[in-house]
Amino acid sequence: MFDETPNVLERDDFCSLAPIGWLHHKMQDSFFLVVGTGSCQGFLQTALGVMIFAQPRFATAMLDEDDLAGRDALTALMPLAKTVVEKHQPKAIFLASTCTPEILKMNIAGCAPPIERETGVRVYPARMDGFDASYTQGEDHVLESMIARAPQTDEANLVILGCLSALEEAEIRLECKAMGLPQPGFLPGESALDVPAIGPKTVLVPVHPFLNGSCMFAKRERRCTIPVLPFPYGPDGSARFYEGLAAAYGKSVSYAEREREAWAACEKEVAQLRGRSIAFCSDALLELPLARTLRAAGAVVPFVSTPRIFKKFHAAELAQLGDLEILEAPDRFETFARLAEARPDLVVANLNIANSLEGMGFAVKWSTELSFQPIRGFSCVPTLFGLFTASLRRHDALAKTRANVGSAERPIDLDFFRLAPAREESLA
Amino acid sequence: MKLAVWSYQSPAHVGASKAASSFNKIHTIVRAPKGDGYGTIMLAMFERLGVSPPLTISALTEATLAGDRADIGRMIADVDGRLHPEMIVITRSATASVLQEPLDGEIAMIPPGTIKAEIFQPSVHPLRDNEISAFAKTVAEIVDHFAQDGVARTPEPSVNIIGPSLLGFHDHSNVVSLRRLFADLGVRVNAVVPLGASPDQLRALGSAWLNVSTARELALPTMQKLNERFGTPFIEDVPYGEAGTTRFLRQVCAILELPSDRITTASREAKLLWYARTVDAHALSGKRVGVFGMPSAVAGIARVLHDELDMHVEFAGTFALDHGAWLREQLRDITDDVLVTDDYQDVANKIDATRPDIMFGSQMERHSASRFGVPCAVISSPCHILNFPLGHAPFLGYEGANHIGDVVNQTQVLGLEHHLIETFGPRNQGRFAEAAPEGAPEPAAPVSADLTWDETAERLMGRIPFFVRKKARANIEKYAREQNLAMIDESVVLAARQHVGG
Repeated sequence: MFDETPNVLERDDFCSLAPIGWLHHKMQDSFFLVVGTGSCQGFLQTALGVMIFAQPRFATAMLDEDDLAGRDALTALMPLAKTVVEKHQPKAIFLASTCTPEILKMNIAGCAPPIERETGVRVYPARMDGFDASYTQGEDHVLESMIARAPQTDEANLVILGCLSALEEAEIRLECKAMGLPQPGFLPGESALDVPAIGPKTVLVPVHPFLNGSCMFAKRERRCTIPVLPFPYGPDGSARFYEGLAAAYGKSVSYAEREREAWAACEKEVAQLRGRSIAFCSDALLELPLARTLRAAGAVVPFVSTPRIFKKFHAAELAQLGDLEILEAPDRFETFARLAEARPDLVVANLNIANSLEGMGFAVKWSTELSFQPIRGFSCVPTLFGLFTASLRRHDALAKTRANVGSAERPIDLDFFRLAPAREESLA
Repeated sequence: MKLAVWSYQSPAHVGASKAASSFNKIHTIVRAPKGDGYGTIMLAMFERLGVSPPLTISALTEATLAGDRADIGRMIADVDGRLHPEMIVITRSATASVLQEPLDGEIAMIPPGTIKAEIFQPSVHPLRDNEISAFAKTVAEIVDHFAQDGVARTPEPSVNIIGPSLLGFHDHSNVVSLRRLFADLGVRVNAVVPLGASPDQLRALGSAWLNVSTARELALPTMQKLNERFGTPFIEDVPYGEAGTTRFLRQVCAILELPSDRITTASREAKLLWYARTVDAHALSGKRVGVFGMPSAVAGIARVLHDELDMHVEFAGTFALDHGAWLREQLRDITDDVLVTDDYQDVANKIDATRPDIMFGSQMERHSASRFGVPCAVISSPCHILNFPLGHAPFLGYEGANHIGDVVNQTQVLGLEHHLIETFGPRNQGRFAEAAPEGAPEPAAPVSADLTWDETAERLMGRIPFFVRKKARANIEKYAREQNLAMIDESVVLAARQHVGG
């Protein structure tokens, strides 16, 4: 139904272990045991450092030379898993395989059942390696592993797929109730053991644009219905999303009035976005729906870079983007060059290049915030647009201060982005 | 396998790339899965680089696993053509080394003449080396590669400063402080390595009269190599503290045959030993301290606290296991209790057991110490963004000694404040008010008489971070009044968020 796993080279990105940050926060009875190297540990403590000091519910099983030389993975893992169970008493352990076990073809998934038998704690094996197009896809693999443990059902129940905040979940619950739809189950829920049933009559609805893999898996294994909808970002996306939920149950509900109200309610933010140009650097796969709703709000989006387009999975978004220029899996310098031409008012970029872009004279909104703030649904519209308007307002204010003291703006150095002509040929 | 939640040292490839990317006109390519590139983020964030970092990740992909290696050659050509470095250093992460890619073959296949930069692969072992040893090795090997034989000694006395790098602990300030020190002595700084050193400067390293370092563990292999090749003497001691800096400068003057009265000029702004005599500092005498971190920093700081401020070093230690014996020897006259461990829990347990009055450590000790209410100053890597200050904050030289005095003073004052609040504060206040954990029930707030919050609304409020809850509650009540609602349920909370915002 959906697209296959991509083969891309993406330079400015985090590791797919990053979603552990929000997943372990959501599932308070979970523990993430990462099987990997010092790099995995280094990344976790750099990215999630602050959480380390509050009894973290994640740790790395660090591979040593014996493991690389072919020591049995289960023999090495079992005592560590027992320590985790004894010390943290989780209801479920997510056993995360990373790049090195994948390269070595270590059977980490195969270790899950014996550890579960021995400890009595549920073990979900999940690939969380860095070969994916975007770091957010780590969540995709975790959810796939949970779907495999979902009870079967013959009911036409509704399952909302993707990690959401309590606020976002509450809105979806209330809207479903108002439309007379079944009360939705959420995956993940607040407990790692709480997996809604999924069967052939289930309607499964992803709320994130990076859940292509788990949707493909659910479709294949459970034959459930997965409507292709826009993702619930902004008044436009939220309206189409809810109308789509109703349509999946054969109901025709119009959210046009609700959408108009929502636009009116955020007019203050929208007024600040209107006519401003905002470009996206490739990051978390959220770029397409965000560009779509910013355009609907009146912003100008000169182009969008994204690590990967899933043509079928993103079809409802792509249909609304029309002729928007999309760079798929771009080279870092390709994006820089395009930015230098477009000179947008705001560049949305991740932490790798945010400071570099500021140094080049661009105004930057760091994108990572977008992957952990509640920004979906009608009630979160002000938060969503507010992230962009706050950034624009801040840059405008600081630019004014610099101008007042005659502090020179850094020019954008176009030559930097261009290869010497002879080189371009040799690269072709 | 070993269970880890925290490592003091990053893996070898981070040490190697930190060293290599600190040079000027040298670009580093790290062959690794993209996740190994977190070093790039640290570089971009902590150093606030306004340019693209001289460090590129050549990301392993599914295609690489299937045997496609053409991308490395393409990336080398790309970096060469776009950035024109004199050298491209290639290093691999542990994960990439497992692949055992024949990169030499790929590099050999680049047509001659198409690449201007030299390609260099340091002999770092991705698993057996650690951050410190990989850093030290990489600097030494790049130095050895470029340094030219037969260069004449500079006409005036000169030094190379080995050790400072990007992401180094207060290294930008340390370099400024040492430069001023040598300027007062009439000694020229020939090169700072690796921070900002260009290949041209590296070629002329043999022309310096003396090599000194900002951290022995990072610089020793380089200083030994330069000694072997050029007979250049070197000093292993690092100038921590006022007395420590004077001792260091005496060694410098002896080796360079300079009149030692120049030290008087250099020390004119030094205030630490005078501060120690003032009444304010009397309270420091006999205060029990713990010191933990990088070997040179611990050796230096422990001696300053002991010799110059009359404090009592309860214990000291390092996570650099290879340097434990050296540190023990250095601190023989200061403390018997030297802890050599790379497990942060051991250090936390030690802090708990000894309860020093002040802890001096890395970022991790700061967190551990705060659990036990022990004030802590950060004096060593690994550290956080707070230790990449905008202003001048050296730890080395006479200026560094002054700064160390300020650090002790500020940390101590905080401790005193705490004590005063405990002693004289209102009874119900006790300790500093602790931050309420997210989701914890709120203390009974004065509820507006005209409005009722139902259970669903309260539950949602409980999920809002505690520090914005009060404002959110006020906004929602304002909205409810405007709408003439007496009962607030979760739908009102959501509607209010939509109309009034968070």
